Amino acid sequence: MNTAADRSQAMPRVEVQFDRPHRQHEPRDQVAVRYRIEGCDGERIRAIEHSVLWYTEGKGEEDLGVHFFQRITDRAMMPPALSTGAFSTPLPQSPLSYEGLIVKVRWCVRVRLFFDGSRDFVSEHVFVLGRIPPARLSESRA
Amino acid sequence: MVSNPFSTRFTRPGRIEQLDDAGRPVDVEGLLERLRDLGGTAAIVGPHGSGKSTLLAHLAEAIERRGGQSPRFRLRSWRDGLAAWRAICQSVAGATICIDSWECIGPATRILLRLAARLSGCGLLVTSHRGVGMPELTRCGTSASLLRAIVRSLPHYPDWHGTLICEADIDAAFANHSGNLRESLYALYDRFEAGRRRVRAVVGTGPDGHDGSDGGRHGIHEFADGFSYAGAPERNLG
Repeated sequence: MNTAADRSQAMPRVEVQFDRPHRQHEPRDQVAVRYRIEGCDGERIRAIEHSVLWYTEGKGEEDLGVHFFQRITDRAMMPPALSTGAFSTPLPQSPLSYEGLIVKVRWCVRVRLFFDGSRDFVSEHVFVLGRIPPARLSESRA
Repeated sequence: MVSNPFSTRFTRPGRIEQLDDAGRPVDVEGLLERLRDLGGTAAIVGPHGSGKSTLLAHLAEAIERRGGQSPRFRLRSWRDGLAAWRAICQSVAGATICIDSWECIGPATRILLRLAARLSGCGLLVTSHRGVGMPELTRCGTSASLLRAIVRSLPHYPDWHGTLICEADIDAAFANHSGNLRESLYALYDRFEAGRRRVRAVVGTGPDGHDGSDGGRHGIHEFADGFSYAGAPERNLG
């Protein structure tokens, strides 16, 4: 949690482009992502983390699994020298994305920016792994 | 693909900004000063679902930002108490041991933990539903305006407020759960899901399985591309 002073700073923006239409991927596909960082307003970035992960979403405790992780600390690979980046990784067989009523499983790519000082910023972009249809309430319960 | 903004992911302790019962930001740094003035050991007191755990998480993070140590424990049984005792014994002097649900352990374990903290030179910051013989750092309370302020702070609020969740839903959740914010947020989670199902039934396919960037195509405003937030220490992956 950042302080009020941190929050008053400009929020950067990370625009992400997936290689597949509708961000739909199959198990064992390669997920490839290009991103652009904007709005850093001269703040120096000391590290960028790329990750591909799944997490659960619901009313219970959140579960999370990191499938791919990469940390970049080379200043030549990050703003202001370079405002774009890319990464890719093969996807696993499971867990598949699932839109349940009680719990959902989501996959996302995450780009995390660490600024000089203690501030950091996370940008997550959801994609779909597999083709499990969303759960539906039976008519009697709906 | 629409995230439910009332899911634990967005509402768990530490994620929501700490607000007082009038919905104003809590002065976390001021509370840390008060904790120091109280000798480093104090209790956050309040009823179920009043934001004690959230406040504890914010204070622990603030202590870490200052370079201090603040290991956190949630007590559910004597085993958790034992883990906390071990951590206290291994902590450096000056650390603040943060313990959620202090009242869930028996008096003997409490005495043991307090004694271990004193001998190790550590402070204890605990949450409890009632006074526990420690100085009171602050008392958490709730109000409908606090719940409304929390709801306003959730991701992509303008996209779903007034369509999937209305002010009347928020007030009803608060009233139906007797001011318990956690339960109220769970109720709003269900309400949000029900609203999505209704929209799906009306428009057919619904938003599932689609890129978040095709907002509005199915008659509701889907979230803008991506979800961004300021990082928090516990989310470090590296």
